[in-house]
Amino acid sequence: MKTSQPQNKRRDKGPKRLMDYMAGKLSVSVFLIGLALFALLIHIFFIQRNNAEGYSKIVLNQRQSEYESRTIPYRRGDIYDRNGSRLATSERVYILILDPAQMRDFEAVNAEGVKTRNVIEPTISALVEQFGFDEADLRATINNNPNSSYIRYMKNVSYDKKQEFVAYQTKKNEEFLASTDPVIGKNRIRGVWFEDNYKRSYPYSSLGCNVIGFASSDGAFGSGGVEQYYNDILTGVNGREYGYLDDEANLEKVIKPAVNGDSLVLTIDATIQNIVEKYLAEWKNGEIGSKSAGCVVMNPKNGEILAMASTKTFDLNNPNTTGDYTEDEIYAFGINEAVSDYRLKNPDLPGITSKEVPDHYTREEIMKLGETIAMYQNWRNLCVSDTYEPGSTQKIFTVAGALEENVISENDSFQCNGNVQLSDGIHTWKINCVNRNGHGILDVTGGITKSCNVVMMNIAFAEKAQTFMKYERLFGFGSFTGVDLPAEANTENLGFATDDIGRTQLATNSFGQNYNCTMIQMASAYCSILNGGYYYKPHVVKQILSADGALKEDVQPLLVRETVSASTCDFIKHALVETVESGTGGAAKVPGYTVGGKTGTAQKQPRAAKTYVVSFCGFAPAEDPALLCYVIIDEPKLPGEAAAHSSFASEIFSKVMAEALPAMNIYPEGADGENYVIPDTLLPSEEGDSHQTMGNEGSTEEESTAEGTVNVLTNSNGEPVYETISADQLTEETAAAQTDEFIEGEDDGSELPYELPEPETFEMIEIPTESESESETAE
Amino acid sequence: MPAYRNDFNNRGGRSNSQSRPQVQQRQAVQRQAQTRPVQRPMFRNEIRAQQQMQQQAHTQAQPVPAKKPRRYYDYSLLFGVIFIFALGLLVIYSSSQYTAMLEKGDAQYYFKRQLIIGSAGLLLAIVMSVCDYRWVKNAVVAYAAYLGSCSLLLVTLISGLASHGKTRWLSIAGISFQPAEVAKVGLIVLLAYYVSLHGPNMHKRKYLIRAIGYSLIPTILILKQNISSAFIVAMIAAVMLFVAIKNYAAFFALGTAALAALFSARPLLHKYIIDNGMTSRPEKYWMRRIVGWAAPEIFEADAYQTMQGMYAIGSGGMTGHGLGESIQKFGKIPEVQNDMIFTIICEEFGFIGAATIILLFFYIIYRIYKIAYNAPDVFGTMLCAGVMAHLGLQVALNIAVVTMVIPNTGVTLPFISYGGSAVLVTMAEIGIVLSVAHQIRQGS
Repeated sequence: MKTSQPQNKRRDKGPKRLMDYMAGKLSVSVFLIGLALFALLIHIFFIQRNNAEGYSKIVLNQRQSEYESRTIPYRRGDIYDRNGSRLATSERVYILILDPAQMRDFEAVNAEGVKTRNVIEPTISALVEQFGFDEADLRATINNNPNSSYIRYMKNVSYDKKQEFVAYQTKKNEEFLASTDPVIGKNRIRGVWFEDNYKRSYPYSSLGCNVIGFASSDGAFGSGGVEQYYNDILTGVNGREYGYLDDEANLEKVIKPAVNGDSLVLTIDATIQNIVEKYLAEWKNGEIGSKSAGCVVMNPKNGEILAMASTKTFDLNNPNTTGDYTEDEIYAFGINEAVSDYRLKNPDLPGITSKEVPDHYTREEIMKLGETIAMYQNWRNLCVSDTYEPGSTQKIFTVAGALEENVISENDSFQCNGNVQLSDGIHTWKINCVNRNGHGILDVTGGITKSCNVVMMNIAFAEKAQTFMKYERLFGFGSFTGVDLPAEANTENLGFATDDIGRTQLATNSFGQNYNCTMIQMASAYCSILNGGYYYKPHVVKQILSADGALKEDVQPLLVRETVSASTCDFIKHALVETVESGTGGAAKVPGYTVGGKTGTAQKQPRAAKTYVVSFCGFAPAEDPALLCYVIIDEPKLPGEAAAHSSFASEIFSKVMAEALPAMNIYPEGADGENYVIPDTLLPSEEGDSHQTMGNEGSTEEESTAEGTVNVLTNSNGEPVYETISADQLTEETAAAQTDEFIEGEDDGSELPYELPEPETFEMIEIPTESESESETAE
Repeated sequence: MPAYRNDFNNRGGRSNSQSRPQVQQRQAVQRQAQTRPVQRPMFRNEIRAQQQMQQQAHTQAQPVPAKKPRRYYDYSLLFGVIFIFALGLLVIYSSSQYTAMLEKGDAQYYFKRQLIIGSAGLLLAIVMSVCDYRWVKNAVVAYAAYLGSCSLLLVTLISGLASHGKTRWLSIAGISFQPAEVAKVGLIVLLAYYVSLHGPNMHKRKYLIRAIGYSLIPTILILKQNISSAFIVAMIAAVMLFVAIKNYAAFFALGTAALAALFSARPLLHKYIIDNGMTSRPEKYWMRRIVGWAAPEIFEADAYQTMQGMYAIGSGGMTGHGLGESIQKFGKIPEVQNDMIFTIICEEFGFIGAATIILLFFYIIYRIYKIAYNAPDVFGTMLCAGVMAHLGLQVALNIAVVTMVIPNTGVTLPFISYGGSAVLVTMAEIGIVLSVAHQIRQGS
C-alpha cells in the first residue's frame, strides 16, 4: 500500500478499500478464467470440426437402430371349407420381449455410483408374479445378455394375459413413483415389451388333416396340404415400424403396415369330410382293419374334391406324433434312416449296412431318427402321394378306349375260359380270370359287371399297345393330375416309361395290374367318364379371398382334355350301374339311390405274398352323377386271399354315400328335402362320434351287406348267382373266386417275364385265338 | 491512488455523504449535467444556458431535496443472469421432456420445477441485492454461517454413514438440499470476513494457516460424499487466497504443476492401461471414472455417459440441429438435464450456441469482477471474488468434463443445469454480488 492511512484504520474496521495487489490479482484471476473458457471453446471447436461427421453418424445410427427391430407381423390367411366353416385360422397372440439393455440404461448411476433407480429386480419379481417364470432362469437371461434389447422370452402370450401384465406394470410403477420410501421409490418395472404375433390353430383338429396341412407356429410356412401348396397366398408381408432420416436429418417414424395373407375357400365339404373320416375310422378300428385305407369324394362335373381322407390322421394343432406306428416299425425306420444319416455325416468313410447300425448308434438315437421318419410317414397324403396297382377299376378305361376306337362294339361278346395262355415258345403261362372256371360267354357290359380279366385282355389285345396306352394317357395315368396339393406322386416310370409295352404288360394292364397310379388319378379319370368325357383338373381350392373377405379369385374348373365321347361314357356308366345292380359291386348299393361303380382287387408285389389292395370307385345318383367316391383299402388284415374282397371298400362307399348324398341335398327316392331330416352326425364334430345313420336304420338291404359280403359266384351255367355268405366262410372256397390273382406259372414254375415284349410271331398266334372267340360269340 | 480508480469508488462509506461541502454540491450538479445522455456534444453556450437553468431551478427549490447518494445497481449482471437462466429453462425443457415423460409421466416435470426454484432464487437474489451486505460483516454472522454449514455437512456425513450409503442430501422439514452447496457460501463468507480483517497480513503464516484450516474443514467433510464438490470448495478457497495474498510465485508454481499434471495424466494413464493390459473395471467408483476418461475405448461402460455426450457435442457442428432437434436426448445420455446439459446445447445450437453460452458466462464473471474491483470494501471484494471463483470454476469444470478434458465428475453448469440446491445457492450468490454492487457509490 502506498498510503499508510488505510492501514491504520484497518486495525479495527478492516481495510475499506481494495488493495492494489488485490486489484491485480483479481484481474489475473478473471483473465485466467477467461483463458480457460476460451481454451475450452477452442477445444469444442476442434471436437466439432474433427468429429462432426463421424459422431453424427454414430448418433444417427444409434437413433435409427432403436427403431430397426420392430416388425409388424402379417396374419396368415384363414382356410374355410366350401360352406364357410373355418378349418384353419390365426389367433392374435403376443411374444414377451425382454430388453435388458433398457433395464440397465434405466438403472442410471449418479456421480457417486449410487443407483438412482432399481429396474432389474422389480421387473423380475413382477414377471415371476405375473407369469410364473423360473426366477433363476429369468435373472440369468437378463444378466447374461446385458446389451441385448430383444430377447423373445415367451411366445403365445394371450391378449388377456398381456393386458393383465400391462395394467399391473402401470399400477406398480405409479405406486413406486408415489412412494416416499428411499428404496421403493427408486423401483421401476421396465424393459418388457409385447410383440404382436399370430398363432395358427385348427378348430376341427384332425379333420381334413391331409388336405389342410399345418403351418409353423409363426405362420411363416406350411407343411402338407394347402398350407404348403398355397403358402405364398396364405402368407402376407410383414410390416415394419422404422425410423428414417429426412433431408434435414430429422428422424421420421414410419409405420408400414403388414399385408395380411389371403384366405382360401376349399372345395372340401366339412360335412362329407367328416362322414368319410368317420367310416374310415370305423373300418380301421373294426374287426378286420387294414394297413391303411383312403377315400376321395369328388364332384364329377368339375373336378372339385369334396373330401379326401385316409386312416392316417393326426391333430393339426399338434402334428408331431408318430401316429399308429408301433415301436418296432419306428425302430425299423430308424435303422434305415441311420444308414443314410451315417453316410451323410461321414462322407469319407464307407457306408454302413443296416445290420451295422446298432454298432454306431444307440437305441435312443435310432428311435429318434425313426420317430422323425414315422412322423413324416404319418403326414403323407395317401390319396395323392402313394401309388399302387389299381386292379379292376381300370377295366372301364380298357373298354372305353376300345369302344372309342371302334376296335370293339358295344354288342361284341367274348368267351372266357378262366384264363389266357401266353407262350414264348418254350414256356406257357396262364393269366387267370377272376373266375378260374371261366365266365363263359360275356358281352362287353358283362366283362365289366363280372370284372372278367379274359374279356379285358382280349379287348386290349385287339386295340394293341399303342392305342391302349394312348387312352391310358388320355385318362391321366402316368402323368401328374396337377392337383393343388403337394407331393403328388410321379407315376411316369411306374408302367408308363414307354408306349411300346409288351404283350404281357398289355394283358395285365388291361385289368389294372403292373402299373401304378394314385387315388387322385383314378378318381379324376372316373370323373371324366361320368361327366361325358371331360377331364377336369382335380382341385381343392374353390376361391381365394383377400384378408378382408373380398373375393380375389374364383377358381374355375380347368378342363384339361377331352377323353372319350359321350356315347362311350353313357355305355360305361350303364355298365357301372349294372355292376352294382347285378355284378361284383353289389355291396355298394345305397338304399334309395341308383348307384354305379366298379370294384377292384389288386394283388400287390411281391405276388407270392398274397397281399391285396381292394377298392371301389362309384357314383350316385346314376342318372346325374353328383358324387364320386373312391375307396381303397390297402392290405386288409386277413390272411392270404381272404383279404382279397373288394366288398370291404364297397361297404365303406355305401355308408359314405348314404350320408353324403343327403348332405348334398340329394335325397333318397321317396323322400324330399322337406321331410328329410339331416341326422346330427352329418354335421362335423371334433370327436367323430359314430351314431347309427339313417341310411343304415331300417334298411334290410343294408343289413345283409353289413353281416357278410355279397360275392359274385358263377354256377355251372355261367350265370352269376348272389349269395350272402358269412365272414367265416370267406376264408375258404369263395375267396379264390374273388381274387384277381392272375398269373399262374407253367409246370416248371418259371415266372412270366412281363417286362419283355412278346415276339411278333406269338402275337400273331394269339390274335386268331381272340378272333376265334369273337367269331364264336358272333355265332 | 492511480487516477483510474477515482471513477466511482474512492469515497465509499455512508458517513462521508452526510458531511459533503456545498462546493462539491455544485460540482455534483455539473457532473449530473455532463453525465446526462446526449445525442451530440453540446456547444459551450448550450452548456452555459443549461447551467443557468439549473442554478435557477436550484435556487427556487430550496432546501435541497436530493441529498441521498445515488446507488449503483448492476442491471447488466441481473439481466445477464435472467437471460442465461431463461435460456437454461429452454434447454432443460428440450432435453428432459422425453425422459421426464418416460419416468415421471409429465414432459414438463423438470422444466416446471426448475422454473419454480429458479424464479424463487431470482426473487431471493433481488431481495438480497437491495440489502446491505455489510451486516454480515461481523464475526458472529460470518462464523455462524461457516459453522452452520459445516455442521450441516457433518450431519449429512453421519447420517450417510449410519445408513451405510453415500448421500449428498439432507432433509430438513421435508425439504431436501445439498449441504455442500450451502457450505460453499459459508466458506466464501468466512474467508471474505477473515481476509477483510487481516488484509495485507494474510501472507503471514499464522493467518494463512488458519485460512487454509478454515478451507480444509468443509473440503474434508464433503470429500467423502462428493469429490468434485470438495475440489470446488478447495479451489474457491485457493482463488480467494490467491486474490488476498500478495504472493504470485507460489500460486503460479502450484497452478503450473496442476496443469502439467492434468495434461500429462491422460496419456500416461492410457499408456499404463494399455501396457498392463488392464481390462477389468476397478472397484472404486472414482477410479472407474478415471479409467473411463483415460481409456474410453477399453472401459466403454465407464465412459458411456461422456462418450454419448461427446457424440452430441461433435454431431452439433457449427450451427447445431436447432432447438428441440437433439437426438441424443432420447434416452442416450443419462441425467441429460443435469450435468450433461451442455452437450445438448452443443448438439442443438452447435459451436455458435456453445460460444454464446460461454461468452454469456464470461460476461457474468466479468461483471462480478468489475463489482469486486469497485466494491466499497475488501469484504465486498472478497465476497465477489469468491462468487466469481465459484461460478468460473463450475463453468470451466463442467465444460471440461463434457469435453473429456478432465475425468467425469458431477459438476453442474450454473443457472442452466437442473437442480434445486445448486440453483438456489448460485442465485443467492448473485444476490450477494448485487448487494455489494448496490453499495457502490456512483461518483467522481
